[in-house]
Amino acid sequence: MVRLIKIILIFTAISCFYFFTQPAFAKNQVLTDVKVIHASTGSKHVDPGLKGIFSELKSVFKYTSYRLLKDQRLNLRFNQKGRVNLPGKRTLIVMPSDMEGKRIRYQINIQKNNHPIFQTRVLLKNNSSITIGGPQFNNGVLLFNISGSVQ
Amino acid sequence: MIKGVTFMKKSCNKYTSEDISRFVDNELSENQYHALTQHIIHCPACSRLVEQYRSISDVFNDHADQEILKIDRTELKQKIEYATQNSKGTSLGNVFGFFGKNIYLKLASITAIVMIGLFTFQGDLLGPSGPSAIVKYVDTDFSSVMIIETQKKQHTIIWFSET
Repeated sequence: MVRLIKIILIFTAISCFYFFTQPAFAKNQVLTDVKVIHASTGSKHVDPGLKGIFSELKSVFKYTSYRLLKDQRLNLRFNQKGRVNLPGKRTLIVMPSDMEGKRIRYQINIQKNNHPIFQTRVLLKNNSSITIGGPQFNNGVLLFNISGSVQ
Repeated sequence: MIKGVTFMKKSCNKYTSEDISRFVDNELSENQYHALTQHIIHCPACSRLVEQYRSISDVFNDHADQEILKIDRTELKQKIEYATQNSKGTSLGNVFGFFGKNIYLKLASITAIVMIGLFTFQGDLLGPSGPSAIVKYVDTDFSSVMIIETQKKQHTIIWFSET
């Protein structure tokens, strides 16, 4: 019993230390993961790398095939732009600008032939993701799953 | 009339031993009691059973009375008062004494309360609730834009049509 209480005390002390010293080690790196997915109504297929997001996509879209074309990790500082080349002469530009509460403020731009075709600002929940989709590609569409995690 | 008690052993064709037992214990309704009283007059089997149950009941009642007479009422009153005081003390001890004299348990409890309070004050313990992303602004050359939130995990999807 005494041992258990000691363990609890040590755990709470460590938690307190972590909690109160958090601002001292300010987190300024945002690990951003961009998955480029090709969704189509072809033969049924789901890439293993998409298992985490597949159930959500399936609940909204009618597509039967989800292929992971690219999975690019970007370790970005705040206000640093990250570029991901997309199929069809498109480019995705992501930039974490700051934090609002526990959410990361992201600016996301999609360009085609160096011309902006889509831009958005979102507050992404830390360790969560957003999917942007719509561009036509190879008898299907492209989906961009962008996840962010403050390091 | 008493109905329905068919699985019990019957003292006669009309009443079961259970019915008779309930009669002796005054557990029958007024009508049932009256009917059985009339029946007993003409049914020797039931009458005998009633007598048997009554004698057993008398023996138990006599014994209980004797046991009650042995109890010292003053001592009983003192014991009740003592027990009442003790129970009050224990419940107050649990609330204000933090589970007795164990100092480690007290400290752990206080720390846990402080931690829970701090986390609650800070916001959410398990991260913010709501959609995975809040869309603040969208600009596109194309007219059709949809913002979707899935039901299961509240995953945010922005859909734009390039046509």
